[in-house]
Amino acid sequence: MTITALLPLRIRFECQLAWRHLRSGGGQTWLTIAAVASGVIIVIFIMGLIFGLQKKFTSLLTEAIPHVTVQVPEGKPIPYADIPGSKGGLSSSRSELQAPQRKNIDDWRTVLSVASEIPNVQTVSAAVSGQGFASKGANPVGVSLTGADPAEQERITPVTKNLIAGHYLGLASDEVVVDYELAQDLNVAVGDRIRITSISGVPEPLRITGIYSKGQGRGSAYVTLRTGQSMLGIGNSVNVVYVKVFDIFGADAVAERLSVLLDCEAKSWSSEFPNFVTSLQAQSASAYLISGFTLIASSFAIASVLIVSVQRKAKQIGILKSIGARSNQIMLVFLFEGLGIAVAGSVMGAIAGITVVYLLSLPKQAVGRGGGSPEAIFPLILDPLYILAAMGAASLATVLAALLPARSAAKMNPVDAMR
Amino acid sequence: MSAAPGEAVIETIGLKKTYPGKVPTPVLFGIDLRVVAGEFISIIGQSGSGKSTLLNILGALDIPTGGVVKIDGVDISTLTEDGLAVLRSEVVGFVFQAHFLLEELTCLENAVLPILIRKGEATSEELEWIRSLLVRVGLGEKLDKYPDTMSGGENQRCAIVRALANRPRIVLADEPTGNLDSHSGEEVFRLMRQMSSEVGIAFVMVTHDERLAHAADRILMIEDGLMRPVAVKPRIAA
Ligand SMILES: Nc1ncnc2c1ncn2[C@@H]1O[C@H](COP(=O)(O)OP(=O)(O)OP(=O)(O)O)[C@@H](O)[C@H]1O
Ligand SMILES: [Mg+2]
Repeated sequence: MTITALLPLRIRFECQLAWRHLRSGGGQTWLTIAAVASGVIIVIFIMGLIFGLQKKFTSLLTEAIPHVTVQVPEGKPIPYADIPGSKGGLSSSRSELQAPQRKNIDDWRTVLSVASEIPNVQTVSAAVSGQGFASKGANPVGVSLTGADPAEQERITPVTKNLIAGHYLGLASDEVVVDYELAQDLNVAVGDRIRITSISGVPEPLRITGIYSKGQGRGSAYVTLRTGQSMLGIGNSVNVVYVKVFDIFGADAVAERLSVLLDCEAKSWSSEFPNFVTSLQAQSASAYLISGFTLIASSFAIASVLIVSVQRKAKQIGILKSIGARSNQIMLVFLFEGLGIAVAGSVMGAIAGITVVYLLSLPKQAVGRGGGSPEAIFPLILDPLYILAAMGAASLATVLAALLPARSAAKMNPVDAMR
Repeated sequence: MSAAPGEAVIETIGLKKTYPGKVPTPVLFGIDLRVVAGEFISIIGQSGSGKSTLLNILGALDIPTGGVVKIDGVDISTLTEDGLAVLRSEVVGFVFQAHFLLEELTCLENAVLPILIRKGEATSEELEWIRSLLVRVGLGEKLDKYPDTMSGGENQRCAIVRALANRPRIVLADEPTGNLDSHSGEEVFRLMRQMSSEVGIAFVMVTHDERLAHAADRILMIEDGLMRPVAVKPRIAA
């Protein structure tokens, strides 16, 4: 009993005795520590796996799309019945959704500088986007047109790495990059000339410099910002600003921030994929549920071991009382025992859990996707926050499990206990 | 703790005890007892006559169902659980038939345990005093031994030192020699007598050993739930 001299006097004896109990408990002590540790390991693994998978799927989904899209919408059509002073009473008052009409963002340079100041924003890019028709001689084909600086746009919706032929970076003002599906429909190749007519403009002759494929094309075409502006007839303005963020799950916050700071409509990627977001939430909920049940199960195991241990120590409890121990001193002894188990178990569990997750994240897939480096078979992530949370929750569960036996120990009648 | 001579350390007036149960067991019917500072009393009686019951009540381990018990002048019926614990800690020491040492602690640690329970740590003087007591009872070589490596007599001697640790005014010993052979029994008894006269601590000892009983200052016998004095045959000296 030496370093214990640092403990406050009020709890010194209780801590010392709890420590002796743990030490003399041997296998039983290790059993309870192992129960806490396994709980922590399972929680760390489940969290690491679920959140890792979520991160992987989400980044797969969002790597090629803007994370936040800033636009200034035209006022929405109002149903007749909602117009103040309308007679109402119309049985059906449906408003037709029109083709997206956008106001131009004239001071888009301000938007860019405001947006890039927001934390978590990785890159911003101004663009014009609109619908049109592409034609090579005969039938026109619908096309969605994006005009942007290639180097900037590249960081929002990567094109170069999906190129089948030609190039995107260094696009000239009379050039266009189209997707594979559009090229198929028009039956054209790199070097061919096509004509794209925007809904508001004149036909523009363009030369194809690149064809790309993302697997599922929608008939898209990329031109330079200047060309796009003149095709859509919006002068020096743009009609959309794209934002890419670092933490994909922080995109909603960025969008909200932008809507507040600028008088505009900023939409996060998640609003485009409500079902995906719902399924993420369901996954998180099940991860929390599994973790919760794991901790409950391990605390039941601990409680039952401790209850037996208190019963075996009944005689000692009687002796302690007969030499002057107060009830809450007895209770503290057994609570400290639980605390010791909790601390040892959660620390060991955290170390083991981190090791397991780390080792499992090492094996890589044989082949990388799309020319990238090979990815982990188990996309596990380690987040200090949930490791600490797992340790905290496991410790709390253990101390709660110790509470019941500790109280029964404190309530023991010394005469009965010693008989 | 001012022990004026002749002042009662423990006093009972009409103490009654009935164990509750489906069939209540009346054990003590009205015990009047006065133990003064420094005296050595032995209590005898048939098995089941209520000797342990009485001792537990005298030591505030149990509460009576009738009558008054005053320990160190305090009526224990006025005390809370914690108040009783304080009495057990500061006024009374217990020695049982089994040594009841904590197996997780060494001989020395067991002996200082009551001090640690009372105030968290023992001063170096207190530690020195406990150590000297252990040397006195012949355990100088055993300070760091654990109970399961010591003999019954050694353990019981350690338990006696533990009972003295907080310098109580009275030690209650329930058949302290009951588990020992006659030689170690006598040794333990002689120790208790010595401590009693040297430190001025009152002893109440329950025993079945008539020889030891008669070496006390007073002998009391419990019979039919009542207490009556027995004449002491002045025989062996302490
Ligand atoms: N907790 C209890 N509940 C019910 N009855 C009890 C309880 N404790 C003791 N008794 C009864 O009270 C009586 C006195 O018991 P006690 O232990 O005081 O006797 P004793 O004189 O110490 O006997 P022994 O010499 O065998 O130790 C016995 O009949 C016993 O059965
Ligand atoms: Mg008895």
